[in-house]
Formats: sequence, C-alpha cells, structure tokens
Amino acid sequence: MTFFSRLAVSLFVFFAGASAHAQELFEYKDSHSNVALYAEKTAANNEEPLWLAFRIEPKEGWHSYWKNYGDSGAAPILEWTLPEGVAIGEPLYGTPHRMPVGPLMNYGYEGASSLLLPLTIAENYTGNIIDVQLSAEWLVCEIECVPQVGEWSFSIPVGQAENINASIFAEARSMLPELSYWDATLSVSQNASELLVFVDESELEGLKSAYFYPESEGVALYADTQTWEVSGDGLRLRIPREGELEPTTGNGILELEFDDGRKTALELEPTLNSALSIAGTNNTPIQIDQSYDLPIWQAAMFAFFGGMILNLMPCVFPVLSLKAFALISANHKTTDGRRKEGWAYTFGIWISFMIIVAVLMILRAGGAAIGWGFQLQDPVFVGLLAILMVIVALSLGGMFNIGLGGAEGAGQTLTEKDGLKGAFFKGVLATLVATPCTAPLMAPAIGFALTQSILTVALVFSMLAFGLAAPFLALSYSETLARMMPRPGAWMEKVKQGLAFPMLLTAVWLIYIFDVQAGGIATMILLMGIIGIAFGLWLWQQTSGTVGRAISLIFIAGAAGYALYQASISSPAPTAVDESVYAYAPETVAELRAEGEPVFVYFTAEWCITCKVNEQVALNSSEVKDAFKNKGIKIVKGDWTNRNAEIAEVLAKYGRAGVPLYLFFPAGASEAKVLPEILTPSIVVEAL
Amino acid sequence: MRGVILTCLFILASVTSPTTAQPVVGEKAPAFIGLTSSGDTINLEDLKGSYVVLEWTNHECPYVKKHYNSGNMQKTQEALTSQGAHWISVISSAPGKQGHVSASEATEIATKRGSYATSIVLDPSGEIGRAYRAKTTPQMVLIDPEGDILYQGAIDNKPSARISSLEGASNYLLTAWNEVRNGEQVSVRETKPYGCTIKYSDTQGYK
Repeated sequence: MTFFSRLAVSLFVFFAGASAHAQELFEYKDSHSNVALYAEKTAANNEEPLWLAFRIEPKEGWHSYWKNYGDSGAAPILEWTLPEGVAIGEPLYGTPHRMPVGPLMNYGYEGASSLLLPLTIAENYTGNIIDVQLSAEWLVCEIECVPQVGEWSFSIPVGQAENINASIFAEARSMLPELSYWDATLSVSQNASELLVFVDESELEGLKSAYFYPESEGVALYADTQTWEVSGDGLRLRIPREGELEPTTGNGILELEFDDGRKTALELEPTLNSALSIAGTNNTPIQIDQSYDLPIWQAAMFAFFGGMILNLMPCVFPVLSLKAFALISANHKTTDGRRKEGWAYTFGIWISFMIIVAVLMILRAGGAAIGWGFQLQDPVFVGLLAILMVIVALSLGGMFNIGLGGAEGAGQTLTEKDGLKGAFFKGVLATLVATPCTAPLMAPAIGFALTQSILTVALVFSMLAFGLAAPFLALSYSETLARMMPRPGAWMEKVKQGLAFPMLLTAVWLIYIFDVQAGGIATMILLMGIIGIAFGLWLWQQTSGTVGRAISLIFIAGAAGYALYQASISSPAPTAVDESVYAYAPETVAELRAEGEPVFVYFTAEWCITCKVNEQVALNSSEVKDAFKNKGIKIVKGDWTNRNAEIAEVLAKYGRAGVPLYLFFPAGASEAKVLPEILTPSIVVEAL
Repeated sequence: MRGVILTCLFILASVTSPTTAQPVVGEKAPAFIGLTSSGDTINLEDLKGSYVVLEWTNHECPYVKKHYNSGNMQKTQEALTSQGAHWISVISSAPGKQGHVSASEATEIATKRGSYATSIVLDPSGEIGRAYRAKTTPQMVLIDPEGDILYQGAIDNKPSARISSLEGASNYLLTAWNEVRNGEQVSVRETKPYGCTIKYSDTQGYK
C-alpha cells in the first residue's frame, strides 16, 4: 500500500464516516477505551462469510496489543457463544507498531485498530436469526496496564444482505498486511534467527528499513535491533534471539520502508528451520555457535592482530630477535628449507597455545574457578618463568657464549639446534616467554573466547598463534623481505646483549608477583635458586668431562627443584593491612550496603598490568582519594592474585572472565555502577 | 609502553563486550544477593539444598491482582512452601514507578494479601530481574536444590486478568512441582510469560 493510497483511504474514511452513520452491533465505553462490533453486511448467509470488525480505540496515549504482544502485555481474548452450525474464524490483525517500554519492547496499536473475524454458517443452518454472545477482554496500557472487559448479546439476521459500514471495513483492511507471494525461510539458531526472503533485487531498490514481526515466541529478542542486507538471494534479515523456547511457526509480518516514503507490510509464511529442536529434545545444554554475537571471523581477526602486537612486547621481542638473527645468518639455506623452518616455528607456537588452552579448559570443566591468567596464579609457574627469563637474559648477554651457531645453555640447547626441531622449540620458547605478557594483556579477550564453544576457542587461539608467528612466517616466504634484512655481523652480538635488559626487567616483575604469592622466604630461595642455576650452567660450559657435566646438572636441577618446591608450600606473607580498605567478601559488601554506606569495590591482581596502571593513575591519585574521603565512601578490595572462587563468581556475574572490575554502589541504592576497564581520575570522580 | 598497552586494550575491548546469556532451563540459575523487606540479605547460593521459587510481583498490576484476589497465588505458595520450598517474591519496580514499595510497605502488602512467600526481595535497580530476563508480573522461576532452573515462564496458561479465567487453567508451576515431587521430568519447562511490563528504570539496557 503506497502512501497515497493510504492517504486516499483515510480521506475516504473521513468523508464516509461523516456522511454515512455506522451501524454497530454494539458500542461500549470502558474506563480506558471504547470498543464496538460492526458487521460488513446487514445479514449473514451461507454464500460467503460475514466479516465482523471488533474495533478497539484506546484513550489518547494508551495502546492495545497485537496477537504477539512482544515482551509483555496480552492479546485481546474474544470468547464467542454461538448456535450450532455457526462458526467464527481466527481474527485478522492489522500491522502492529513497535512500542518501547523502558528496556522492553511491545507490539501493538497506539490508535484505533480492528480485529476482522469471519462468521460462517453451515449449509444446514435453518434459523433466520443468529443469537451471539461475546465475552471479551482486551488489555490497554500506557505504562501501567488496565484490562478492559465486556459481555454482550446481540443477534444477526440470516438472509439477503446489503453492504454497510464500508468506511469501518475500509479502515480495518487498510491496516492489514498484504498477502505476499514471496518465498521465505526462517532459520532459528541459539543466538539469532535469520529470515531469508527470496525476492528479486530490483524489487528492493531504495529500501531504507526492514523489520520482521514474528507471530511466535522464540524467534526474536523484541527490543534488539534487527539488521538486514540485500544480496543475490534477496533480503536477509538477522534477528537477535535467545532462550530455549521453540517457535511454533515462522509466520509474521515483514515491514519494508523505502527512500521515497513507500511503506509496505507483507504477511509472510516462511518455512521454519529450527536448530533448537535437536538440542531441545534432551537435557543437554545447547552448543550452537554461541559466538554469533561477534562474527567469528571478526573475533579471529582481532586475535590475529593481538598476536602480531605481542611480537613487540618487551618480554617477547628479545627472543624473537634470536629467531631473526638465525634467519639472517641462514642465508645459505635454500628457500625451501627456510619455509619449512618457518612452518615448524609456527607449529611450535600453535602447539604451545593449544596445550595451555586445553589445560585451562580441563581445569574449568573440573569446576575450578579460574580465568585466563590462571597460569600466573600459581607461584610455581611464576617462579619457573622468572628462572626462564633470567636464563634467556644471561644467554643474550653472552654469559653462555652464544655464537650464532653454537650456543650452549639450557634454553639454547633447545632453540639453537639446526633445522626444524630447533625452529619448533623456538616457537615453544616464544610462547612461554610471551605468557607473562599475554596473560594480563589478553585476559579480557581470551576470557570472552573461553565462554564460547570449543571450536571457537580453538579458532581464536590458533589465530593468536598465527599472529605471533606471522612476521617470521612472512619473512621465511618472501625473498624480497629476506633481502631487506641487514647483513649479519658483529653488531648482532651487541644488539643481543642490549636486549638482555628488558628480559631482566620482566624477571624482576615476575619475582615481585612471586613475592606477593609465596612470601619473602620463598622469594629469597628463588633468587638463590636462580643464582644456583646460573652457576650450574656456567660450570657446564667450563667442563667437558662426564663427571663435571653431571655435577653441573645436579646443581641446575637441585637449585630449580628446591626453589620451586619451596614455592609450592609457601603461603603469601601477611601484607600490611591498609586500615581504610576492606578485604573483599560478599558478606562485607552486603553489610556495608545494608548500613546505607556508599561502597566502592575493585578487583585487582598483582599480575594484572591494567589494574596496576589504573591504581597508580586513578585510584591512588590525590583527586580520587579526596573524593573517596569527602563522600565517606567505603573501599573494598578484592585481590585475585591467587585463585579465589568468590571473586571469580562476582566477575562472572558482571560478565567478566578476569580483572579488573570496578563497581560503585551509591548509598542506599542496590544498583552497582560498573566503571570502565581503563580509568582516569576524572572517570572515577564523575562516577562517584 | 603504556600507549601500546592501551591500544591493545582498546582493540580487545571491542572483542570483549560482556554479554550475559539468558538463563537456560536445566542450567545454573543466575546467582544473586538480594535485600529483603525484613532488612536481611539473602544469597541464592545459601539456599542450595532446598527448592526455590522466584515470583516477580507488582501489587498494582491487574494480572497479579487476579492471582492474589482469587487466592490462587497464595494457594500455590502454600502448596510449595509447606513442602519445604523457599518462595521469594521479587519486586523489580524502579523508584517512582508502579509497584515500587518500601520495605515496610512490601511487608504490609504481603501480610494483607495473606502471602505465604518465605521472603520478599526488593530489587529497585532491576539487577535481579534483568539477570533472569524477567519481563512481566507475574513471572515464575523454579530452581532445584542444586541451583539449576527447572521451570521459567508464566504461572498458568490463561493470559487473562479475569478471575473467571482461573477455572480450568493449567498452573505450570504446580504441574512442574508435582512432577518433580513424583520423581518425573518436568514436562513444560519454559513458557512465554504474560502480564504487566516490569517497570524497570529506563536508564539501563535490558541485557
């Protein structure tokens, strides 16, 4: 129906209404609406159905509902009592409007609307009058809702009929959707329904908006935005949905709006394909591509770039430089050999990532409340990393006499071996040393990925691995790039020595975390262990006999073993308690809130760089501290440096898989304001 | 360095947009800690071991009135609470909106209506309502002693505000309860709730 024909109808209705008086079967005023029932003819007969219109006109500003009322409301209920041989069919509804109510969405009518009902009489109906009783209930709402009810008795003559009430029926029919001859399918999966309408592109020229009103529950999240595109197949509409409820039908109304003002509503009867029924028949949780919210290719792309960025991290870069130097000095190798090495390196990174993820998934499946960064919650692992960092730093610094070919030393024996195996282990080493950087930096993204299906997780981490490997993979493939590399020479030694320092800094940071987790004594033993290992490695270099090497091995293994054993049995030193800060416990927060205090809760971990930066820049700034003090805000700190199920639960409640999380509960209100993950003093002060 | 970190975080932030999924029947009910009308806090976690019913209510909603004025809601409450279920009436109306009440008003209304609810939770922020995707009053959730959802949706199959509609109505909650007590599977696990829109504060999104 075009705009003009609609206008024409309205004008017609206006004049017709003014000239011919409508003849209603009944008219009724309730508290918040008027209703009336009209017949299209003066009498009923068995030649064709007699159409009835039940017209609802809510008070100004109030609305009534479509058969699917959306998130809340109720469709009109009409209960007929009819003599035998008379039937009234399902009502036809006009095209509804969208009516947002707070965060919810309703489907209905702001103005007058009619339900069209066909009354049919059987061949053998002998009466000359039809006695009808109608009991109706229709809901009208503004924001509050008032159900309206009425009961009426009336009779309709049987026999020769004349048309009446033309304007009423013209108005009602103008609101009906047009029957569509377009084929369509509605595919319902866990997080979205996809409506595909097979239509020639030319018919959709100038399309400005498209919206689908589904008849059945389970097709759409009514308040979410539907997105559409026109492609070769026709019109594709993506409708967000959620939940387990199985749609009973795919039918609905498609509303199209064009640039030139044309607006049409089409009644569609799409073939319904539901992926839910397979999952819904038994009690197993549904595992259909849950990442639909973020297109999977997009998540994969982000992961890929994240991996590339990791190459620049202070702890990873030095290790990569080794790989780079190996490449530079390997110009004698064939192109083919270099490519193979590039892939071996990539494979090493990939395998390491997969192992870490598998461990995480297994632990989580076992119910452990952990998120990404879990590796750093274990002092043994942190100690191991610290040792690794120092060893790599020492070898970079030249203590282990690294010529570009013949390196000795623990990490180096693995990584400097010629050939594929060497390249593979270099990949493993790169992943290992990258861990302290990936954990804090990638925690949110990875945490998100981990809530997805196993397939998605594998894909995201694979892309992360490829991102990390990408620069060298590219280098091993491109002759041009390889030629652009500087010539090997003595400068490489100097650069490597310089790169030892960022490694040492990383080690210092790890030792700091270790200290928080395992306490001062364990830290001292770790430091001694590191020196012991360094001594053992040095000894290895000085000796060549079996006995000497055995002694140095004992040194290395003993020092490492003792340091890590001590780490595993130590508990954190009691930290100096800041009197003004409460330690997190759900009861503490509940109590403070119940006392009517404003409460600021923050969740942090020593290994979380973002958290530490936020605390330095924002939370510990005098501006914020003053604001806390002046407003009498109680501060609660949740420390997630070590594993803690209660904190993991809160994080999960707010949709986070890791720290940081900042919550502010204003006095009295139980509503928490969630602050962003990156804070500035002004963000915090404004939120208070 | 900080620049690099921030850049990464901004890139990643777009990946992470935290979405909490709708509660699924057969899976864990969203955890919550609520403030009750008697001034206590109630933690769903602490109720493990007993069946829990959540009932979203708004004493001014005509659909809620139907169930209370007819005694249907009280009858349902009694049937479950007398067998050890913990019944929590949740009021998610935002301050200034229909159905919003103070703690003492909530207690008074419950007393007047003869409610058998074990506790009444005041949720003016709508936090609990949103976590459960509650849309209407009345709306019901049945949770088993392990904390998993057994049923969620409407109280019965008659989306009407008239007391006469109760005759012949099938009470989904009671049906589910009887099935559970008889060691059977719940036959209707999820339905579309009907009734008045929950009067949430407009400031926050629904999800």
